[in-house]
Amino acid sequence: MKSLMPVLVGLVLLTIGCSKERNFDERELHLISPEKIAGFDPIHGSDLYSANEMGKVYEGLYEFHPFKRPYELVPNLAESLPNVSADGLTYTFVVKKGVLFRDSPVFKDGLGRELSADDVLYTLKRLADPKLQAKGWWLLDDRILGLNEWREKNAPLEASNYDEVIEGLKKIDGYTLQIKLKKPYPQFLYALAMNYTFIVAKEAVEHYGKEFLNYPVGTGPFLLDKFEQSNKIVYIKNPKFREKLFPSEGEEGDEKQGLFADAGKKIPLVDKIIVDIQVESQPKWLLFHKAKADLLEIPKDNFDQAVVGGADLAPELKGKGIRLIKNPMLDVTFFAFNHEDPLFKNVKLRQAMSLAWDRGEANKLFYNNTAIEAQSVIPPGLGGYRKEFKNPFVKLDLELAKKLLAEAGYPNGKGLPEITIQTRNDTISRNTIEHFSKCMNKIGVKVKIGVNTWPELVNKVTKKQHQMYTMAWGADYPDAENFLGLLFCPNQSPGSNGSNYCNPAFDELFRQSTILQDTPERSAFYEKMNEMVALDVPWIFGFNRTKFYLSHAWLKNFKYSEYTHTQFQYLNVDLEVKKELSKKF
Amino acid sequence: MTRYIIRRLLYLIPVLLGVSLIIFVLFNVVAGDPTAVLLGKNATPRQMQELREQLGLNKPLFAQYLDVVRSAFTFDFGRSWSSKQEISQMLRQGAYPSLCLTIPAFVISTVLSLVISLGVAFYRGKGIDLFVRFCCIAGMSVSALAYILFFQYFFAFKLGWFEISGFEFGFPDFVPFIALPAIIWIVLSIGPDVRFFRTVILDEIYQDYVRTARAKGLSEMHILLKHVLRNAMIPIITYVVIQIPFLILGALLLENFFSIPGLGGITLNALNSSDFPVIKAMAILSSVVYIVFSLISDILYTFADPRVKLK
Repeated sequence: MKSLMPVLVGLVLLTIGCSKERNFDERELHLISPEKIAGFDPIHGSDLYSANEMGKVYEGLYEFHPFKRPYELVPNLAESLPNVSADGLTYTFVVKKGVLFRDSPVFKDGLGRELSADDVLYTLKRLADPKLQAKGWWLLDDRILGLNEWREKNAPLEASNYDEVIEGLKKIDGYTLQIKLKKPYPQFLYALAMNYTFIVAKEAVEHYGKEFLNYPVGTGPFLLDKFEQSNKIVYIKNPKFREKLFPSEGEEGDEKQGLFADAGKKIPLVDKIIVDIQVESQPKWLLFHKAKADLLEIPKDNFDQAVVGGADLAPELKGKGIRLIKNPMLDVTFFAFNHEDPLFKNVKLRQAMSLAWDRGEANKLFYNNTAIEAQSVIPPGLGGYRKEFKNPFVKLDLELAKKLLAEAGYPNGKGLPEITIQTRNDTISRNTIEHFSKCMNKIGVKVKIGVNTWPELVNKVTKKQHQMYTMAWGADYPDAENFLGLLFCPNQSPGSNGSNYCNPAFDELFRQSTILQDTPERSAFYEKMNEMVALDVPWIFGFNRTKFYLSHAWLKNFKYSEYTHTQFQYLNVDLEVKKELSKKF
Repeated sequence: MTRYIIRRLLYLIPVLLGVSLIIFVLFNVVAGDPTAVLLGKNATPRQMQELREQLGLNKPLFAQYLDVVRSAFTFDFGRSWSSKQEISQMLRQGAYPSLCLTIPAFVISTVLSLVISLGVAFYRGKGIDLFVRFCCIAGMSVSALAYILFFQYFFAFKLGWFEISGFEFGFPDFVPFIALPAIIWIVLSIGPDVRFFRTVILDEIYQDYVRTARAKGLSEMHILLKHVLRNAMIPIITYVVIQIPFLILGALLLENFFSIPGLGGITLNALNSSDFPVIKAMAILSSVVYIVFSLISDILYTFADPRVKLK
C-alpha cells in the first residue's frame, strides 16, 4: 500500500497541474447540451439542441424576439416583415444589405462575401433537394408553387439541378425575392425562423460536399472554433458580424429584471461560448455547482435539492446568488388510443379511462407537482387556449368512470380485453405506465406495458401496430395548428397523427382555420376545435410541463424561450460578479 | 505456427459471414423500418418511402445482405444514417478517448490484482487473506453506478482532486479527465480479478511439483514467482487477453458519466437511433478484434508453456 501512495499522489498532482484555471479576462459563456450534436447542416437539425448550436453560426430571415411574449417574429436577415399579397399567396422579401458570410477558404481570397437573394433561394431549394432528404422538408412540402415538381423531377437524376427556375421562387434583384405559395400558409414565416431555413452559402456546400456538416459557413454571430461531436463545442465571436443591436423592448417586468441593461449595445456580447455535452444528470449538476456551467436546466434527480415546495429556490443556492427561472413549456403529454382498434371507437370507454387516471398523483410522482393538467390538445400560451375551459373528463372521478365503463358495455371491466400501452424503455416512462395501470385497475381496466427502444416505438406507431402509446409533443412554432394537426385525419400514421383519429367535423374546421392569418377569427376556430376534441377524448390528455433553469448571478439577459436557437447572442457575463462569486464555489 | 495463424485468420471469413447474417436478420426482423426515426417526428409517408429507396431498403433482402457482407470485408462502412458523419472517422475519434481510459486502467488493474493475488496466496488462510477476500466480495456487491456517483461527487466535486467530466485530446491534457474514471475501473476490476487469480494460483500451489520444490528447500517467494506464477499463466493469459477487445469497445457507463467521447457512447447512440451502418461497423469490428486477440492468446500460450504446440 505504501508503494501505491506515491503513484496516487503523483496522479493527483498531475491532474491538478493539468487542470485549467478559470478565465476571468474573457467573457466566456459556459453552457451544457444534454444531447450529442450530429452536425451543423441546418436542414438536418430536427431537435432543439442541434438547433441551438446551429443558431450560433447561422441565421434565418426571421427570428423570435428574445423578450416579447407571446412570441413575436422580428426580421433578422430580412430587412423587414415581407410584403404579402392580398390573397396571402405571394410574399416579397428584401434581405439586409452588407451582411457577410464568415471568412472561409470556400470564397475567393478566403473572404466572406455578401449575402444575397440567391442565397435564400438556394437554401430553400436545398431543403427540397430529394438527394438530401432534409428533416425539415415537411415545412415546404406542397406549399410553394413548382417546388414539389422540381423535387420529383430531380429525384431520379444523379444530382439536383439548382439552376432551374422554379415558378414559386423568384429573384427580383440582388436583395429581393418573391415566393409564391400554392395556397395560403400563415405559418410560412415561422418556417423562415427555424433552423431548417438558416441561410447557407452554395460555395460552402459544394466545397465541403458530405463534410459540409462539420464546416459551417454562415452569417451568424459566432464562428465554430472546435467541434467534438460528443464532447465539446467551442465558438468564438464573429469579428465581421454585422451591426445588430441589443433590443430595448420586451414584456412588462423585463426592465425590472435588468434585461435591458445592454440595450443598444452591439451583439454578440460574449467573446466565446463553450458548450459541454453532458448526457447524465449528476455531472451536469456538479459542473454547475463548481461554476463551470453558467446555466442549467434542472435535472429531475436534483429537483428537490434546487427547488423548495415546487416553486422557490433552495436557500443555500440563493446565498450563492443563483437564480431560479421557471416557465411553462409549449407542450403536451398524452396517452393516445389507436382509433383503428375497434375497442377505442367506443367513446365512453375512452372517457371512463380518462376519468380514472389520478393526474394529481402522477404530477407529484413524475413532475414534482409542477406541471399543469392539460385540458385538451392546445397548451397555454397559444391562440385557441381558453383558460376558463375545463375538460369534464380531465379529473379523477372513479364513480363516473365506472358508470361510463358500464355504459360502454364493460361493467367493472368485464369483457374488456387487456390493453397494451407502448412506451419507451426508460425508467420514467415505465413508471408512468405502471402508475396509470394501477389507476385503471381501480375501475377494472387491465393495462399491460409494452417497453420499446425509441426506434421500436416509432415503428409500432407508424405501422399502426399499437393499441395505445404515450408520448409528448413540443411546439415546432408558436401556432396551435402545430398541435391540432396531430388529430387531423389526413396526417394519420405514418404521419404525425399516430392515434389515427378521424373526425370529419374537426377536419373541416382544421382545413378552414389553417389558411387564415393570425386573427381573432382563427383563434375562435382553434378554440372550437380544441374543445371539440376535449370532449371526444381522442387521447387521455396528460400535462403541460414546466421547465426549470438555474442561472448564476453573473449570467445576464437570460429569459426563458421555447425557441432558444438565436438567444445566445443576447447573453452576457458580468466578469466582476463572476470573479467575486466564484470564490463561493 | 505460421500455418496455424493463417488457418485461424481464415476463420475470420465464416465468422464475418455469420456476424453479418445475424446483424442483418436482427436489424431487418427486430428493428424494422428506420426511416421514421431518421426523418424525425414530422416525416411524411412519401419522404419515408424516398429515404427507404435511397438507403437501399427496398432492394431484395439478398442484395441488402450482400451489401452488408461487402462492407464487412472491405471495412468500408460508409456514413452514419443519423449523424451523417463518416463512420471510419467516428471510430477513429472514438477509439482514442476509449483507449486512453481503458488501457492504463486495464494494465494497472491487472498488475495490481496479480500482485495482490500472489500476496494473499502467500498468506493463504491467514487474516490478510480473509480480509482481502472480504473486501473483494464487498466491493463486487456494490453496483458500478454507485461507485461512479460517489467517486465523482466526493473526489471530483467535494475534494476537487479531479475533473468532474469532459475530455481533452493529447497527452498530458487528457490525464485529469481520465484519472478518476480509470481509478473507478481499477476498483471495479480488482474484486473479480483477485478472486480469479487467487483461485488459479491456489490450484497450482497444491500441486506435487510445489511440494517437491519446498522439500528441496526453495523459499516460498521463489516458488511463487518462479514456478507457481509461470504454471498459472495459461488461464491468466486467457482471462486477460479475452478482455482486451472489450477495451476497444469502451466503457459505456464511465464514458457516459464522465463525458468521454468514446466508442461506448457511439454504439449506444446508434442503437437508439436505428443507425444500422454504425451498429454493423461496431459488430464487425468487435468480431475481428475478438478473433485476433484470441489468436494472440493462443500464441502467448506457447511462450508461457513450451509444451503447448500450435498445429
